[in-house]
Amino acid sequence: MSNVKLEILTPNGEIYNGEALSVTLPGEEGEFGVLAEHSSLSTLLEAGVIDIEKEDKSVESILINWGVVQVDEEKVIVLVEGAVAIRGENESEVATALENAKDLIESIKDNNPAIASATARIELAAQNLL
Amino acid sequence: MANLKDIQRQIKSVSNTQKTTRAMKLVSTAKLRRAEELAKRSRLYADKMNQVIAEIAGRIKCNKVGGIDNRCFSKIDNPKTVDIVFVTADKGLCGGFNIQTIKAVKKLLAEYKEQNVKVRLRGIGKKGIEFFKYNEVELFDSVSDLSSRPDKERSDSFIKSSIEEFKDGKIDALHMVYNGYKNMITQELHVNKVLPVDADQFECNEEPKSILEVEAQDEEHMLDSLVSRYVEYAMYYSLIDSVAAEHSARMQAMDTATNNAKDMVKSLNVQFNKARQAAITTELIEIISGVESMK
Repeated sequence: MSNVKLEILTPNGEIYNGEALSVTLPGEEGEFGVLAEHSSLSTLLEAGVIDIEKEDKSVESILINWGVVQVDEEKVIVLVEGAVAIRGENESEVATALENAKDLIESIKDNNPAIASATARIELAAQNLL
Repeated sequence: MANLKDIQRQIKSVSNTQKTTRAMKLVSTAKLRRAEELAKRSRLYADKMNQVIAEIAGRIKCNKVGGIDNRCFSKIDNPKTVDIVFVTADKGLCGGFNIQTIKAVKKLLAEYKEQNVKVRLRGIGKKGIEFFKYNEVELFDSVSDLSSRPDKERSDSFIKSSIEEFKDGKIDALHMVYNGYKNMITQELHVNKVLPVDADQFECNEEPKSILEVEAQDEEHMLDSLVSRYVEYAMYYSLIDSVAAEHSARMQAMDTATNNAKDMVKSLNVQFNKARQAAITTELIEIISGVESMK
């Protein structure tokens, strides 16, 4: 199976650029997954977590607050306004990322149920990394 | 020939100016590095955003997506009222940086005046605002300390009213004029028509690789929200781009000023030495002729 080319861009630069097996996005109408050769679509994303399944089967989670995604057969381009990737080489780096992610969640100030679950999901993702 | 004391005073004053300009150059260089970094990182995002918007605009124009009638994407003939947002610096001493923007705004104003279109000027940056006030051109709205310290929230709230009014049909176009950063020594003037989104360049006959598919019930909502973000970001990006350009322009202007001051001190020094020599010679002649006459 071929891979999806994924680009995630924030106003502060690229946060992810590479290949992935699949990517799960928090669409406005609900979460959806994208595999390679997905038919094209453009839609808005709401606050939530993007899960990227990488080639080595590991999953990377990126928290976002708003975004727009453009999917076509070749690649997936995600433009987000604020994003924090839960990643790091060691425990302290992951902890900092988690801290930043929580700040981002705070700043959303929205009583959306999706956000409550996002907190739980990033914590889980951080635990899996350690 | 000028008095020795006068020349000395002039030399001192010029070298003091030189000190100031050199300091300003250093400050700008330091600030430029930070601003440049920010602008460069944002450029990627801004470019992609433009690309996405342009693609959507193109598809709507070519009727690939049926039934979308959004004001932001339709061509408006015979505009009645337009908004022009311009960004200048808050401070001067940066060469032709501000005046270039002002000239572009004036050109746009004249063009619209010919077509009898009402223009509302919305200014950011003290220098531009002062210029238009002095020339008795009415400004619809102005903010004066946003361009030196770009802030996403403030820029959003500034541009929001234009977006809303465009959607409500009160204005028919939105232009942004600003001087952007190209590299360390050049600035690039941008005159962008932000709304309605321009789809002219999009080729319809080209077979698209993919089709835009948006959920039918929320396509209006999606486009609305997307366009707002797009314009807000375009505003913010023009601010950070403008800051970077301002610093590079000032750095250059101050570098030239420092060099000019250096040349001036040099020529004044020559003049001073000549005057001193002349004074000594006159004194000597006086002494010698005095001695001669006593013989």
